[in-house]
Amino acid sequence: MTETAPALSMRGISKSFPGIRALTDVDLEVGVGEVHAIVGENGAGKSTLMKILAGVYQPTEGTIELQGEAVRISGPIDARKRGIGMVYQELNLVPDLSVAENITLGAPPSKFGLVDRKALRARAQEVLTELGARVQPDDLVGSLPVSQQQLVEIAKAYASNPRIIVLDEPTSSLSENEAQALFRVIERMKAAGIAIIYISHRLREVIELADRVTVLRDGRLVESRSAEGITAGDMIRLMVGRELTDVFPKREVPIGDVVLKVEGLTRPGTFEDVDLEVRAGEIVGLAGFVGAGRTEVARAIFGLDRAASGTVTVDGAPVEATSPRKGVDAGIAYVPEDRKRDGLVPQLTVKDNVTLAVPGDIARLGWIRRGVERKLASEKATELGVSPPVIDRRVDTYSGGNQQKVVFAKWLATQPRVLILDEPTRGVDVGAKSDIHRIIGELAAQGTAILMISSELPEVLAVSDRIYVLHEGRVSAELPRGASEQDVMQAATGEVAA
Amino acid sequence: MTINIETVSTDRVVKQGFLSRYGTTLAMPLGILMLLVVGAFLSDRFLTIGNLTNVLINMSIVGIIVVGMTFVFVSRGMADLSVPATVAVGGILVLMLDDVIGTWPAALVGVLIAAIAGVVNGLLIGYAGLNPVITTLASGTIVLGIAQAFVGGVIVYGQDPGAKEFLTGRLFGVVPVIVLIFLIVALLGHLALSRSVFGRWTYAVGSNPHATEASAVPVRLVKAGAFVMTATLAGFSGVLLGISLQAARPAIGAGYEFDAITAVVVGGVSLLGGSGSIPRAIGGLLFVQLLTNILVLQGVPSEPQGMVKGALIAGAVALDVYLRRRGGRE
Amino acid sequence: MNAVRRAFDSDVFLGIVRYRVAIILVATVVISASLVPGILEFRALSLSLDRIGTTALVAVGLTLVLITGKLDLSGGAILALSGIAAIGLQEQFGQVPAALIGLAVGVAAGVVNGILVVVLQINSLVATLASMLFFRALCHFLTDSRPFSGLDPLFGLAVSRPIGGTFTLRTILFVALLVLVHLWLTRAVAGRNLFAVGSNAASAEASGIRSNGYVFGTFVFAGFTAGAAGVIQSLSVNTGSPVFGESTSLLAIAAVVIGGTRLEGGRGSALGTLGGLLVLAILTTAMEFSNIPAYTQSIVTGVILLLLILLDRFVSGKKGRDLSLTALLRSVRANRRHPENERTLAP
Repeated sequence: MTETAPALSMRGISKSFPGIRALTDVDLEVGVGEVHAIVGENGAGKSTLMKILAGVYQPTEGTIELQGEAVRISGPIDARKRGIGMVYQELNLVPDLSVAENITLGAPPSKFGLVDRKALRARAQEVLTELGARVQPDDLVGSLPVSQQQLVEIAKAYASNPRIIVLDEPTSSLSENEAQALFRVIERMKAAGIAIIYISHRLREVIELADRVTVLRDGRLVESRSAEGITAGDMIRLMVGRELTDVFPKREVPIGDVVLKVEGLTRPGTFEDVDLEVRAGEIVGLAGFVGAGRTEVARAIFGLDRAASGTVTVDGAPVEATSPRKGVDAGIAYVPEDRKRDGLVPQLTVKDNVTLAVPGDIARLGWIRRGVERKLASEKATELGVSPPVIDRRVDTYSGGNQQKVVFAKWLATQPRVLILDEPTRGVDVGAKSDIHRIIGELAAQGTAILMISSELPEVLAVSDRIYVLHEGRVSAELPRGASEQDVMQAATGEVAA
Repeated sequence: MTINIETVSTDRVVKQGFLSRYGTTLAMPLGILMLLVVGAFLSDRFLTIGNLTNVLINMSIVGIIVVGMTFVFVSRGMADLSVPATVAVGGILVLMLDDVIGTWPAALVGVLIAAIAGVVNGLLIGYAGLNPVITTLASGTIVLGIAQAFVGGVIVYGQDPGAKEFLTGRLFGVVPVIVLIFLIVALLGHLALSRSVFGRWTYAVGSNPHATEASAVPVRLVKAGAFVMTATLAGFSGVLLGISLQAARPAIGAGYEFDAITAVVVGGVSLLGGSGSIPRAIGGLLFVQLLTNILVLQGVPSEPQGMVKGALIAGAVALDVYLRRRGGRE
Repeated sequence: MNAVRRAFDSDVFLGIVRYRVAIILVATVVISASLVPGILEFRALSLSLDRIGTTALVAVGLTLVLITGKLDLSGGAILALSGIAAIGLQEQFGQVPAALIGLAVGVAAGVVNGILVVVLQINSLVATLASMLFFRALCHFLTDSRPFSGLDPLFGLAVSRPIGGTFTLRTILFVALLVLVHLWLTRAVAGRNLFAVGSNAASAEASGIRSNGYVFGTFVFAGFTAGAAGVIQSLSVNTGSPVFGESTSLLAIAAVVIGGTRLEGGRGSALGTLGGLLVLAILTTAMEFSNIPAYTQSIVTGVILLLLILLDRFVSGKKGRDLSLTALLRSVRANRRHPENERTLAP
């Protein structure tokens, strides 16, 4: 057999952002017509690696070769020209144009500036037929169900004659049947000699589809091997196996009665029949892959979004989880995942942000009492170690760690009975991180019930008294303290032992 | 996993020079000062008490509207284009009813009806989430049409010269009553925006509605409130206008929305919300009024003034966008 | 609220919304015909179409601007300015050249808008508010706030005279323009790209479509059509006036919205705008004939506009529902194939 250069060869790829080293010395080689899966937990570096391939980021170190030729991918349009097709989770389609028009967007067949409709339809049909996708070219994209829209997105990438197609979590919103239809399309592309990079948390799919698997962990390459005979257990072990360093001190705290009780929480399509319990002084972890529904559940408990059915009670009293105000009144506080979007008001000062959720405490009859306001803000800022504790400075001039502390301060000012933390140490430097963990520990000691969502397994395992694991919207396991990373991962991928 | 310790960015803030920190605050007073100097230079009548008092009187009506429009801008409500209609409502109703129930009760009715229009705007924009521009444009047309239907195409005359005397008179022989009213409204507005919970909420909503909602603040109420306020204030200023002229017709409010928007924009209150203040908006109003006054004293007819205003808006907004890009984070 | 939402989701309701231009048009015709028996007579129709002609021309340009997701409030002011140029310069340049200059003025105004929005990145609302103010003031300045007459009243009269007993030149012009624009929007590559720009500018850009160029172009075109409207208007009454077109912008927006073009961009139809214009034409004429005064007419227009954007808001959760006339067939066909249409694009 003649030696053909691999479709893609990435060597020694490293990528650093200010304060974070996202990738260190990663190699990836994908052959022509090969389905290559990349797996790893949240934050392992998969999407960073793909963004480098897509030209969105430039690698700090390392080389990229396409078909044996060294290249520098200058940007997304350059990537496309070089034959790299990206299919992201968030679809990039124009809903008001037809399938055919979307597939050929930017370069439809035309005569004298007028769209050649027959050729357009024919070209689109050609692509769709080759892929075996059962989508009609004339349909309006916006009126199609997501599974078909995804096929259109793939067709669009395919139509530009790519050598490599990257699929990022393609089955996350698909049903079993739809996923199977997708797999057939992948087979076709493979047969056409396209190299396919498949990123997924669904290990069963990886086993079914992939020819080779690459496992990333903490921004490094763990192993790249043939998918022949690989098991989910193998992959999990590779994804996770690290020593637990005792970075996160755990205080022994007396556990009281049940404070937060969630029963049967359901939103069809997002999460179903979720039951949770958190006691006073307890830190309960909520683990699972991105997309499993953790944030959605948290927001529904707090009242930021609505659940279709289910009950939430705090200290036995039912909570009408219809608005954040009701949540706060019931004693629930939610530190959001997206700090920039949901956590802080950037143009306001530290003082204004910290006191935002407790107007009743700083004002009388709607009139803000400056003394009270400043006192509260200063107290909270100092308590949490915001550095420097200048409450009159705009919050967007602070570092990520300090910003997170401000968010904490705001919510602690509401004196919650239940504190829901969503990725509390994401984007936070080491110093602030341990500060935050110290704070969490103290809160637990004071009797607050804490529900913590985190994608960082060591963190979750070190501080949690119990861990619920979500898998595709359902609680797949409740693990006790002392559980291993493997246990969590197994539950997260749905590979729970019967 | 190697994690580099993130550099704390506080020094980034300390290094900010005097100019960039206080630049925007000083710009307007400096600009006004400059105008005063230029104006005095160009005409001896400019710096007289009589002339300056006139300027203040002229800006009082718009000034009241500017207070409301500032809330709209700060809360990211874009603009309230129904002002001409609500002004007309105030002016017409107060004069139609002044001999029926007395001037001051009639004034109350005028303001109330204007407020109702504001509530409708508030519901459509704050709660139903409609585009504020189109909505206020449409509601303004409707309300104006109703006003015209009411009045039947004639000019409404007032029956209370006493009220006019009062309003156009001076307190202690020095301070024009109408200017005093405006200053009171401006002060109350400023206190509300800067020192009340609602004011705080207004800034928060305009700056980041998502985070504000997640912080248990009633975002929709705040957005609606700004429009209720503007309509009420516009109605009030219409009432004052009607009384002081003792004559009103539906077109009485024409152009006030632009004057108010010009003032707010020139004053540096951002269209994108989350920043600005009443003093700034008033500063912008003063600037425009002084400029107009200078032009009038120079014998420049009224039309180019409109052109100047239009150019000013465009210039001020472009500057705002530019500054945001320069100093803004990503 | 949820129950209300669900009612809006029902198929029947969506069906009504989908066909809404047609339904509104039919309803308008029926109501008007019953109120004003003579209205469906040809002459009356022809007249009412002509009366809406000025608004119609502005509406054509506005349709394109809205499709890209922007707003243009300056149409009325540009209209007046162009008319003033066309009449005022007659003595100096002659009637036809003056008219052409008037058109050029409209184009120039459009360029100004384009620069404000695209180059200076000013929000289109504020930008066109400012430019409207500026142009309007310019009108007052140039005319000393007084309308004035042109050289020869007979010259422009032809524009508003029914040709051969059918439609006026103005009517023919705007209908032709609308048809052309419609064809462009549905057939030309650039026209299709316009939807992409308005619907999802990021993916348009990623596919090599230069969004900025398109946005700029639509403003220039809107200036051109407003200019044309103004020139024709002024010629037909042989007058240049600083107050022409004051209510035109709102009417034009109403027509475009009735026709199904979305305010948020990404969807629209020139034929839809035509339908909206027809509705307004018949409505206003019917109201005129019934001696309903002008202010009531504006109340009606305002209410219709509000109701429609309210409707759009509640239905807008279902992205991709093309409400324009021409897409009816497509979506009906699509619907037959996918009865379980419920999901929308992932955020």
